[in-house]
Amino acid sequence: MKRLALALATGAAAALVLAGCSAPGSVSSSSGTIKVAYQKFGNFTQMDTQMKAVAKQFEAQNKGVKVQLVPIQAAENDYYTKLALMNKAAATAPDVLYEDTFLIKADADAGYLAPLDSYVSKWSDWKQFPDNARQAGQGDDGKIYGVSLGTDTRGLWYNKTLLQKAGIAVPWQPKTWDDVLDAARKIKAAEPGVIPLNVYSGKPQGEASTMQGFEMLLYGTADQLTDSDGKWVAGSKGFTDALQFVQTVYQDKLGPTPQQALDVNVGTEISGQWIPQGKLAIDLDGSWQSQNWISSGAAPWKDWSTTMGWTAMPTQNGQAPGKVSMSGGWTLALGSKSKNKEAAWNFIKLALNKKNSLNFDILDTQIPVRTDVANDPKYTSSNPTNAFFSSLVPVTHFRPATSDYPKVSNAIQVAMESVMTGQQSPAQAAKAYDDALKQAVGPDNIVKK
Amino acid sequence: MAMTSPSRRHLRWTSNSILALIAVCFALPLLWLLVASFDDHANLTLKLPGHFSLANYQAVLTPSLAYVPLWNSMMISLGCAIITVAVAVLAAYPLSRYRMRLNRPFLYGVLFGTCLPITAMMVPVYSLFVGLNLIDSEPGVVLFMAAASLPMAIWMMKNFMDSVPIVLEEAAWSDGASMMSTLWHVVVPLMRPGIAVVFVFVFVQAWGNFFVPFILLLSPEKFPAAVSIFAFFGQYGSVMYGQLAAFSLVYSVPVLALYVFTSRVLGGGSALAGAVKG
Amino acid sequence: MATALPTTALSNRMRGKGQGGPRPRRHPLRAAGRTAPLVPAMILLAVFLVGPVLASFYGSFTNSALTGAAAQQTQFVGFANYAQLFRTPDFFKSVLLTVIFLLGSAVIGQNVLGLVLSLLMARGDRVMRSIVGTFVVTAWVLPEIVAAFAAYAFFHADGTLNEILGAAGIHGPNGLYSLPMVAVILANIWRGTAFSMLVYSAALADVPDDVQESAEMDGAGGAQRLFFITLPLIRRSISTNLMLTTLQTLSVFTLIFVMTGGGPGTDSSTLPILAYQQAFKFSQLGLGTAIATILLVVGAVFSVIYLRALKPEVD
Repeated sequence: MKRLALALATGAAAALVLAGCSAPGSVSSSSGTIKVAYQKFGNFTQMDTQMKAVAKQFEAQNKGVKVQLVPIQAAENDYYTKLALMNKAAATAPDVLYEDTFLIKADADAGYLAPLDSYVSKWSDWKQFPDNARQAGQGDDGKIYGVSLGTDTRGLWYNKTLLQKAGIAVPWQPKTWDDVLDAARKIKAAEPGVIPLNVYSGKPQGEASTMQGFEMLLYGTADQLTDSDGKWVAGSKGFTDALQFVQTVYQDKLGPTPQQALDVNVGTEISGQWIPQGKLAIDLDGSWQSQNWISSGAAPWKDWSTTMGWTAMPTQNGQAPGKVSMSGGWTLALGSKSKNKEAAWNFIKLALNKKNSLNFDILDTQIPVRTDVANDPKYTSSNPTNAFFSSLVPVTHFRPATSDYPKVSNAIQVAMESVMTGQQSPAQAAKAYDDALKQAVGPDNIVKK
Repeated sequence: MAMTSPSRRHLRWTSNSILALIAVCFALPLLWLLVASFDDHANLTLKLPGHFSLANYQAVLTPSLAYVPLWNSMMISLGCAIITVAVAVLAAYPLSRYRMRLNRPFLYGVLFGTCLPITAMMVPVYSLFVGLNLIDSEPGVVLFMAAASLPMAIWMMKNFMDSVPIVLEEAAWSDGASMMSTLWHVVVPLMRPGIAVVFVFVFVQAWGNFFVPFILLLSPEKFPAAVSIFAFFGQYGSVMYGQLAAFSLVYSVPVLALYVFTSRVLGGGSALAGAVKG
Repeated sequence: MATALPTTALSNRMRGKGQGGPRPRRHPLRAAGRTAPLVPAMILLAVFLVGPVLASFYGSFTNSALTGAAAQQTQFVGFANYAQLFRTPDFFKSVLLTVIFLLGSAVIGQNVLGLVLSLLMARGDRVMRSIVGTFVVTAWVLPEIVAAFAAYAFFHADGTLNEILGAAGIHGPNGLYSLPMVAVILANIWRGTAFSMLVYSAALADVPDDVQESAEMDGAGGAQRLFFITLPLIRRSISTNLMLTTLQTLSVFTLIFVMTGGGPGTDSSTLPILAYQQAFKFSQLGLGTAIATILLVVGAVFSVIYLRALKPEVD
């Protein structure tokens, strides 16, 4: 019996290995079908709406080719996981995928994506995509693997009423970091019950801390996370200065208490309660904030557009270009295992033409990357913040999208957390970051400043 | 009991008051769910809604959000629980009644294996399903979840079966009954509470399982409610708490009903006591 | 091949070794017949589980990843993942936190409370029984993510708990921040006790009344009766339940992740949280699987202790 069980187990394992190697493709897309995989999550149904509409147009134009939509209902990490699993098996690999710019390099390395250079070179609309938008879809090898659908930018949201009460003139336009801190100090003095300034910080907020918090500061100094050769920078002054800013906010009690800020759900509290209830004066946050407050949002708030103001985050000392922003964003990409690449590309082209891009960017409060869409009055008038946040595109930065980045990001969050809680000085935390960086990316990929 | 001594009555009173205290402790965290479900501006603090609103329930009780996923959940969980219980009863019988060299290593091995988080197993499981052409197949999901809950179910079932005295079976055997008929007519009726526990346990686990259907199914219309619950989470971490709470309560009702039903119908426990004493 | 050891019920009972089989005859056909009921279970397990379990164990010795170059060319890396784990300072802290979580919420919390509940319910009123049962079971059947939010709403600074304490004039702490492990342990007890309660209730229903009654006539006190008569009788259920709750608690992830995210710092970052970080955030699947394997080792250690201490196999 034992031997039988063993035989069964070995048999099953062998069958499995075989199955893994040579998945026979009966689920596979026949040449007449293209599979389109995208995220549909919570109140993010805009992509679903958009893809349904594009699929209809596509099927009308391409007789004989069917579009099979595969909406994946999950939050980010689960979405990435499912997409990776689907990509691994030829039978289920999608032809067109909704792909985070952030994962393009890694997924291209993994062999999931097909290069698009030969397609875009023949595409008349490609000239509408500015350079930084093109770079967002680039792999490590310099080839294009994804075409941008839209992006986001980051800046300061402020409550006009609260600022005015503290004697600050609106519209408010801080020129340096000190202007921001001064305003926060004035608010603290004038209105003790109000949290003057929120800068996301610490591990619980994850990437929000790194991107909305730390990088919005660091990229406004003379330094960045990587140098022009793509090497990681250790020991830069900008890094310590950015940590110093975080320390000032939290140790001088200009921000939320560390306890509040380290609560995993503080993000929802900020957009759902603190800002609408006038408990927070200034918030360093993303261009998408108003999505929460529109009538279909998670926390509808009628007066948001009159109560709130928005302005750019200044550079450290006001040095050129004077303001700073960080961007992420999503693309459409072509699956490398697609059996019908021509049709898949035609689908991407259709989904990203002017009319459909415009439609999607309005629907999803995205910052358009296509120049013609960004300048379209229909777009700029659809949300009062649109013109402002798209004006940040020229000064925006993208994260170093290597597969090491998540580990580096984690090290940044640890450094922020130890500074905000007063466990370490900015210099000590920066030193600890340098050590963690060495561990994460290897000493060969680091330059010392 | 007709005549209760003072100490008995005292005992009963103490038991009841401790039970009441525990009930309150268990109910308090649920309070937020209940209150939030009637508040169209709910958040994570407990507060009475500005005005009592059924908006959350109205938003949630739609075919695509609630009815279809709940129906799918019901099919998947029922299928999984029935298969698991049937297979586990069969397997537990020889494991309980005969001493086999295989028993323990086999059981321990698989029991531990199944406790690997599904996240650790998902890559091989996915390629297995691609190989078997079972991706996007509900029966495939049911079979996998049944297999995954089987070791625990066999383990529990064997344990319950061990406590069924063998005397009654010996009587059946001497009457010439076959093993199967003894199992069905003598053993199974005696271990109804145990079977109920295993059934509820497997059902609840299947009902709450998010990751397995999420990984193995593709078509939105096949997804169970455990997956559609994520419809209330927003893109940038925002959550519609009111609708989430309303949906959760709706989602919990079938399982609670199952619990009440099984504890009333199957969980009496008096059947066994009667049989042994008889 | 068939190794069933038939023993008569009688001899078995005389030796005090479990239950016997029907007839003491060695007969290959009959032996095969006896194992026949195992076949459906064997098939299901062989097809769906054995392979993936072995494959994922193997995966812990590779640099397997969901994305990046390693996803394309997975290589065997030997014990590199384990070596890397042992070098990570957070790892041993995670093991310790996992053990604390296990002891606090499963071994002590759920088991003791579950047993107490089932004993009390056997003595309480019918109405009280169904009220308690309903609340305890509701916490158990709620989807994990919702239970986690409910627990979060209960414990956080402006949460239900502090409102109640505040009404009593006590200024409660922000439990999630200052006592994260206590908060997640209590939350897991709240969520998981129903299972132990069900198992123990079913086990107690099997304890014949006359055993209890005869003990009462002998004048055994309540506590004595519990420790010397009732508990030994349900020893098998206790060991099974300890084992099952341990294995379930080991992989608790969502509850902790939603309530504290493993923080502050790494103060509530148990092994599943660490595995999540490695496997999904840093997309090192191999390393994540290695952590899962360690998790199983922790579970195995606990199970061996239960089996040794309670000896459920000896009857």
